[in-house]
Amino acid sequence: MYRIRYHGRGGQGMKTASRILGTAFFLEGFEVQDALRYGAERRGAPIFAYVRASRQPINVRGIIRRPDLVIVADDTLVSIPAAGVLSGLKEWTILLISTTETPDVWKKRLNFSGQVLKLPEVAEVEDRLALRFVGSACTGAAARLVGVISRDSLEEAVREELTYLGEGVIQKNLDKALEAYDLMWDHAGAVREAGEIPADGYEKPEWVELPFEEARISAPAIHGAATSVEVKTGLWRTMRPVIDYGQCNRCWWVCSTFCPDSAISVDEQGTPHIGYKHCKGCMICVAQCPAHAIQIIPEHQAEIAGGQS
Amino acid sequence: MKRALLTGNKAAAWGARLANVDYVPAFPITPQTEIIETIANWIDQDEMDCRMVTLESEHSMLTAAGAAAATGVRVFCATSSQGLLYAMEMLYTVAGWRAPFVLVNVSRGLAAPITLEPDHNDVLAARDSGFLQIHCSACQEVLDSTLIAYRLAEDERVRLPVIVNMDGFYLSFTREPVQIPDTKIVNQFVGEFDPENIRFSASAPVSQAVAVLGGTPYSYFRYETHLAALNGLAVYDEITEEFANTFGRRHDAVEAYRTEDAELVFVMMGSFATKAIDAVDGLREAGWAVGVLRPRLLRPFPADHFRRALAGKRGVAVIDQNLSMGKGGVLHTELASALYASAECSPVVVSFIGGLGGRDISLEEFYEMASVARKAIEEGCAPPPRLLYTREELREVRKLQAIANVEREELGQKK
Amino acid sequence: MSETRFQRRKDLPSTHLLGTGTPMCAGCGGLEAIHQIYDILGEKTVFINAAGCMTMLSVYPFTPFRGSWLYTAMASAPAGAQGVRDGLDVLLHKQRIESEEDLQVVVLTGDGSAYGMGLSATSSAIERGLDFLYICYDNEGYGNTGQQYSAATPHGARTATSKGPRGFPGYKKDLFAIWAAHRPAYVATVVGAEPLDLARKIEKAKSLKGPRLIMALSPCPTGWHYDPGESVAIGKLAVRTGCWPLKEYVDGKVVHTKVPHQRPPIEEYLKRQGRFSHLFQPERNELLLQEIQARVDGYWEGVI
Repeated sequence: MYRIRYHGRGGQGMKTASRILGTAFFLEGFEVQDALRYGAERRGAPIFAYVRASRQPINVRGIIRRPDLVIVADDTLVSIPAAGVLSGLKEWTILLISTTETPDVWKKRLNFSGQVLKLPEVAEVEDRLALRFVGSACTGAAARLVGVISRDSLEEAVREELTYLGEGVIQKNLDKALEAYDLMWDHAGAVREAGEIPADGYEKPEWVELPFEEARISAPAIHGAATSVEVKTGLWRTMRPVIDYGQCNRCWWVCSTFCPDSAISVDEQGTPHIGYKHCKGCMICVAQCPAHAIQIIPEHQAEIAGGQS
Repeated sequence: MKRALLTGNKAAAWGARLANVDYVPAFPITPQTEIIETIANWIDQDEMDCRMVTLESEHSMLTAAGAAAATGVRVFCATSSQGLLYAMEMLYTVAGWRAPFVLVNVSRGLAAPITLEPDHNDVLAARDSGFLQIHCSACQEVLDSTLIAYRLAEDERVRLPVIVNMDGFYLSFTREPVQIPDTKIVNQFVGEFDPENIRFSASAPVSQAVAVLGGTPYSYFRYETHLAALNGLAVYDEITEEFANTFGRRHDAVEAYRTEDAELVFVMMGSFATKAIDAVDGLREAGWAVGVLRPRLLRPFPADHFRRALAGKRGVAVIDQNLSMGKGGVLHTELASALYASAECSPVVVSFIGGLGGRDISLEEFYEMASVARKAIEEGCAPPPRLLYTREELREVRKLQAIANVEREELGQKK
Repeated sequence: MSETRFQRRKDLPSTHLLGTGTPMCAGCGGLEAIHQIYDILGEKTVFINAAGCMTMLSVYPFTPFRGSWLYTAMASAPAGAQGVRDGLDVLLHKQRIESEEDLQVVVLTGDGSAYGMGLSATSSAIERGLDFLYICYDNEGYGNTGQQYSAATPHGARTATSKGPRGFPGYKKDLFAIWAAHRPAYVATVVGAEPLDLARKIEKAKSLKGPRLIMALSPCPTGWHYDPGESVAIGKLAVRTGCWPLKEYVDGKVVHTKVPHQRPPIEEYLKRQGRFSHLFQPERNELLLQEIQARVDGYWEGVI
């Protein structure tokens, strides 16, 4: 069985990408199971999708614990623990990453002994959420890497899944998918189907007896105020608003009031400050600032420039 | 202490009054309405310092009950049948809030077809919700169980809402002698409600009943609720021991009548179980070794009590006044699972369904059920479940069907 | 509005009480309104929530509230408010808590609950004279489940369950009129894009007793299909084109707090949102556009 896991952000087309791959396998005569895994998924928030394909009926369900192929559509996700990119990675897993870095850099960074392949799709593009075809490129590459999907089946799958879009859009996606497919020629069949865990050689689950705990502990209640500040919603950002204090009029009642997330605080001098741990990058402040004093820069540039996250 | 003739409804109202409840969200439904009318009257006469509010539905009533309990006050409410089911979403919800309060359910058969008369399908539908359940067979028991229920619900080892169930009409509207205990003694027994840290107040902000994501935290919260419900077994025994010492009346988790040397035991819940007591006396006189077990606690399920009481018995006749469509009697199913693979306890278990929609169960029927069970013991296997229903009754229904113009080919009753 | 402390926008709160880090969509117009409202209502509140987008405000163990919160069910948040209010009243009456411990009870629901499933509970709570606030964040559809149409969806809008060429065939229910017909203490419409108007109304609602109901238009980037940064611009357009009247019901009368003069054509508002794109592409649906404009014009003719 092929076990493939996609990682992306809400809005990057992971659902469609995984379904194109699922359909491609299906057209090749495989039994298929594909799904998107929802959390509180929001635009920009990490999500994942998975595809299983086998010649036999598929009985397993749910999350893929030991993927044969991990596809990362947005390399900024690797450093976010909640995205779970590295979960279950084994030496035989192929890591396919859409990135500007080289595979060796990733191998070192992740201390990973398996194979890392890159999609050169990403030029120095600004907004990661603007990469509308990254999903198709990922799937095109994956189709070649598993070695059992023909170019024709890939094309048919793209057309089938995107049938509701205009021909122009379909063609663009197709071009990207086939380009990536061809690029992976040297690695055709690199993805291997790992076997199942044997019944006479498994790691024992550590079951515990759940102890009774009084309702003061075991009721679903939060005894505290504003614990939500622990959640770094800033990780959703692909673009960042930055205040140019040279232009800023200190009319904090505009930006600070309009930020829905209460992420713009005001100091004693009346100067607004954007809290990057939580700013989701909606850009309402940019649109509403009367002095046009707030600029938009890509998040990865801000990191390079030493910005706070 | 005074002894008076009270209906089951009035007994329940007295239970709430003696427990000094703070808040009664209400909604009328036959056959419980007398409970809220009685309480409303006492409030109007300044005999109860309690707030009563009529909500617009039972779903809202249960929401208000749980919310008030989660705020930190002692709550009482009552419903029945369709109302209990209308509130079903909230039964699960408020149990998960760990908001303790008492709900009196006056058992009534469920639509469709709609009826006003009693059976147990309504309260049994709630058995998975997290509410504990106490089943009464006499009006005295209704009053007593309400007091016990507050102690049980509010105990820190439990902290779950409790249903006290009585049968419609046979208890709700029937007067029996009831000892109304002394207020001071009851106050000592029930005590004051300590909400601990599940409450609302400005100085202690709390977000209650929040959402969870993921099976891991969800499983934790749900299983803890289950463990708390299971604690109810030991806590119930403690409380009823204290109750017996204080008030002189014993209300065991499973009441046993003449079972010590019995070979065959009837098992049934609710008010008709007292009819079984009479049947046992009659059978004993005719030489049978027979007894009755009446579970008062249904949730948590008193499995150990049953296993102890039925050890060495040769046969059990379970009489269910309920029907799980496509499976059969609920009490039968639950008892059979409790007895499974127990070496000391492997009687033949026979299933009878009777009393649906208040249908009477006659003394003769009890005697005949004993015969069937005895035959099952001798043969070593149980016959298929039997619905208690006579030829006379079927004839009666046929007459009704004829009027309703229902085609009956075999009786040639075409119009 | 001479008695208000919100004379100018400088008077708006500069500290924000609602915690950051909630999982609401970037640019959420509902969160926009709630974060402004919470600044004025403060921490001595208990929010009683019905199922909807804002269910996700508090996911164990995270909560943005500095006050309290109780999540109930979709149909019964007002009944939950009844229970909490009555519970607090009993505790105060029986002197089991000090008066400083009292809380304002605030119901929070989306339009799905307010316009539909929860209407019965709301109606009865008002009728019982419950002392509570009701905040409805109206994003004109069942948002949390993927923006299916609700009783609050405007005529012609595309939703997940109205994807035909003419969009939603129904008409937005007039919930303001339904609430006002109960003669509660106060009803008002607000939008986060007009923070001064919102602040004055919340301040007024806070000062009154009895049932007080607020309807907040909540532009929704995810459901209405526009770029999140546009949420305030679209909210402002809703007011300027006359599509979202800013008004109050108080002392038996309806008063408009803003009367837009020289209203831009409604299509200025519609064309910014993907949910109305079928009115413009592949060709303009002149008939539907005129119908929508006529309804807006008709409303204001009745007012002025």
